[in-house]
Amino acid sequence: MTSIEAIGRARATRRLNPTVARYLSAFRTTRGIIGLTLLGILVLAAVLAPVLFPGGYDQQGSTSLTGMSAAHPFGLDEFGRDILTRSVYGLRIDLSLIFAAVPLSMALGMVLGLAGAISERLGEAVQRLFDVVIGFPGLLLGICLVAVLGPGWLALFLTILISGMPTAGRLARAAWLSQQSREYVLAARVLGVPKPKVLTRHIVPNAMDSIVVNGSVWMVIGVYIEAGLSIVGLGVQPPTPSLGVLLNNGLRFVTQAPTYLIGPALILVLLALAFSLIADALNEAVNR
Amino acid sequence: MTRFLLRKAPSVFFVLFASSIIAFALPRLAPGDVAVVLAGENPDAQTIAAIREQLGLNKSPVLQYADWVGGLFRGDLGESFLLHRSVASLIGDRVGSTLELAVLSTLFVIVIGAGLGIMAGSARIGWVRALLDFTDSLFVAIPSFVVGLGLILLFGVFNRWLPVSGEVGVLQNPAIGIQYLVLPSLALALGPAAVVARFIQTEMATMRKAEFVDLAVSKGASRRRITFRHVFRNSLGSAVVAVGLQVGHVLAGAVVIEAIFARNGLGQLAVTSVQSRDFTVLQVLILGAVFVAVVCQLFTEIILAALDPRIRLGE
Repeated sequence: MTSIEAIGRARATRRLNPTVARYLSAFRTTRGIIGLTLLGILVLAAVLAPVLFPGGYDQQGSTSLTGMSAAHPFGLDEFGRDILTRSVYGLRIDLSLIFAAVPLSMALGMVLGLAGAISERLGEAVQRLFDVVIGFPGLLLGICLVAVLGPGWLALFLTILISGMPTAGRLARAAWLSQQSREYVLAARVLGVPKPKVLTRHIVPNAMDSIVVNGSVWMVIGVYIEAGLSIVGLGVQPPTPSLGVLLNNGLRFVTQAPTYLIGPALILVLLALAFSLIADALNEAVNR
Repeated sequence: MTRFLLRKAPSVFFVLFASSIIAFALPRLAPGDVAVVLAGENPDAQTIAAIREQLGLNKSPVLQYADWVGGLFRGDLGESFLLHRSVASLIGDRVGSTLELAVLSTLFVIVIGAGLGIMAGSARIGWVRALLDFTDSLFVAIPSFVVGLGLILLFGVFNRWLPVSGEVGVLQNPAIGIQYLVLPSLALALGPAAVVARFIQTEMATMRKAEFVDLAVSKGASRRRITFRHVFRNSLGSAVVAVGLQVGHVLAGAVVIEAIFARNGLGQLAVTSVQSRDFTVLQVLILGAVFVAVVCQLFTEIILAALDPRIRLGE
């Protein structure tokens, strides 16, 4: 029985794309397992929020600003709303932002970074544009976008999308520059393999590892961008909760009810920790 | 030096030019007529006409841009149509607060960064090294606002040692002012300091393997002398680069930190001008921030060259 299972498992792994198998091997290390479990719990809670907290995030009560209690682990806010409920609903917004923006950001950045393959001049031009994006320190880009679009999900999404692109773009370009003159790439081109295929077969796999690791780091940065902009009041707008909105509100009542701030901050830290562990595990796996 | 600056000039100018275009375009990209957008809520026809006149909105965009940039070069930063004050006076009122914050944070970055870096770079006991590594990784990973929230809880709520909201000018009242300044500066500085420490530690580890260190050991130089005279001194270059690069981060983090600690600096001015859609103020702040970041980077490279005669600028 066990041997049959083992064969089955061996077949299953053999059928996997070796690159994917390598990424998956990250989740057999301790860090990877802890990170993935933590992320799994948070994602599950966020997805199941309407089931777990059927009352919704806006249910007000008569008591307000209480500390921790068994019924309300993070306490109640200034309108008597349960802060744990609001944190989990807030998590939904943060997760939807980063899961939408970061993979797209990495993919677009990679494509733009490979522009040098079409013409060297175009590649250079794209890099100069990336310089400009990097030249806008921190939340400045977000501030510009909010000024034009108004605060909200779209502005946050675009901020994360645009500010992540240069990192992926530079990694892709580095792979292109280092591999384009290698013998195997030259051989492929001499054999008449069309350029797009050379890129997808030979260059992209070389860039993929570092971009995947970079992407998992950017998941954390994405959450920080949301929180930062929402704390100053330019992100998600209340009464809709996001982790940043809750931190902003919690800060206002920090002396009366410190758990108001601690609860959402704890969730934020756990989320960041989960992605950091995953990033570490992936980094180890691709460099093994 | 001149040759270095000349070589650097095109890319610096491009970044500044592109940022000025972006800043210029902001109110024009926002939905609605520019003059109406700039006039704020419930404007009367007269105000709108006056703004249209003043900004020359009937002219072509190229001319408008030239006028605006020309004004900046002449020191005319424009006027806030919402607050009926010149942008220069608005910035002048706030710049002191941000400057205080930036100066103390930079000091913290240098002192804490170098301190942690040297300790981690010369620690021999296993668990001390591990502890320092852990501290480093922690502060590299968490953003300034989380550090700020932690400091508020630790020193302002659980222990009421320091004020966590508001500010007092350090120049007017040094004793009180510094109390308001310590926590926000620390919050801004710890992350960059950890990055600087990392740089120094790595560089020192490489330096320790150098032959001149072996020579110093064989000559019987003391550990302390080797650490400071031979290893750290040769790692200074990368330390300077690290500090220089981190100054930009300090400034960027100021936006959130000022909000958290309720300080009335330039970051807050930027936030309120976005909220009230006061674009003439925002444009100048954005361009100013990019300008400062670019200048910091240039200075870093110049100082680096001055420190290390092997690096010749522009050759």
